[in-house]
Amino acid sequence: MKSQVKQWLESGTIDIFLGMKMVDGHPLPHAFTLRNISDLEDLVPGTVRYPLEKFAAELAAENPDARIGLAARECTQRALNVLSLWNQAPTDRIETIKINCCPSPLKEHAVCSYLDPPEAGLFKKHFGIDNGADPEAVARFEPRERFSRWMYEFQKCIKCYGCRNICPVCFCEDCSLEHEDLIGTGQLPPEAPIFHLVRAVHMAGRCIDCGLCEEACPADIPLRLLYRKVNAVVDDLFDYRAGEGEQPPPFNIIGEKPTLAPKPMENGSACPKR
Amino acid sequence: MECKFVPSVCSYCGVGCGVLFKVVDGKLTGTLPLKTHPVNEGRLCVKGWNLHDFVNSYLRLKSPLIRAFGRFIKTDWEEAIKITSDRFKDIIRQHGPDSVGVLVSAKMSNEENYLAQKFARAAIGTNNVDHCARL
Repeated sequence: MKSQVKQWLESGTIDIFLGMKMVDGHPLPHAFTLRNISDLEDLVPGTVRYPLEKFAAELAAENPDARIGLAARECTQRALNVLSLWNQAPTDRIETIKINCCPSPLKEHAVCSYLDPPEAGLFKKHFGIDNGADPEAVARFEPRERFSRWMYEFQKCIKCYGCRNICPVCFCEDCSLEHEDLIGTGQLPPEAPIFHLVRAVHMAGRCIDCGLCEEACPADIPLRLLYRKVNAVVDDLFDYRAGEGEQPPPFNIIGEKPTLAPKPMENGSACPKR
Repeated sequence: MECKFVPSVCSYCGVGCGVLFKVVDGKLTGTLPLKTHPVNEGRLCVKGWNLHDFVNSYLRLKSPLIRAFGRFIKTDWEEAIKITSDRFKDIIRQHGPDSVGVLVSAKMSNEENYLAQKFARAAIGTNNVDHCARL
């Protein structure tokens, strides 16, 4: 990886490379350029994940000529795909070096709740929802019990907006979660479950299941599980899986009458270019 | 185009969560939780997430202000400290040293807290030293 990045920077293929650098035992995101090329010595795949693709999209938007390199895990690549389909990342100016997250708990991989499901405590198992649970297993609870279990999870929320802030595919300039008419702003606790369900609806067909939201959640709400559920609905109705292929997402096309019937898909995005 | 990621500690409360500042072209543009920090393990509260906002806020005070004639007037540190100490001396002379209290903070270092209590006991002459968490 080091020699590839060095060659890219020296040949001018890219101007800047976003990867992880070891600093005093902490893997931190770092921007490698020709000027600090000696830093490449400390370039590591890193065992923790930061939304590098989000930084890349922001840098690309501010610097229309810049070419950006990126250390990309599978989730990073899915996020780049979604950002590109929504007109938020110019993939022709973004080069990636792929890092594999081996789907085995035995081999070293990044911190990821999919590969290392967290163990839920007793109270959470009895009254809440296990973050590592299967969506099917959660669906088997009786409706009343399921509702009370989800409400137990939602009422823990401290409204830090961390799930939205860290999300690589959250890019809207005006966020519904800060809209006075939709959500009671400036009050704690947030309105449960509407606060969480508004975000869940916005994740439908967009969430790439990276799990960064769950990692960033101080209240340990099973957000990844919730968004997997909404994505399963999108998959059932529209046969669409976010982060795969070149098809624009089904919610990108605004029809005259909103219906649940599958819409014709056209190329091009309804979202304005950043 | 220059982009840097600077690890730091949140300046709000005494917990001291690890944060990572995103600096683009010399301007602080974002805050992230430090994933490997032993205190917060990649999580932050809403204040920590918005640390970069107050640094760039236009409401931020950049020089000391003195309230005179009902208005705030800009001044330098030397004059501001002189006026403050004169007013303290006046108050202590008129009402005694116990009319003054010193509040310290969990966000300050041990040494700064030591200096603050020393200042209260030796310079002002009061035992009124308390902590911001008990306010």
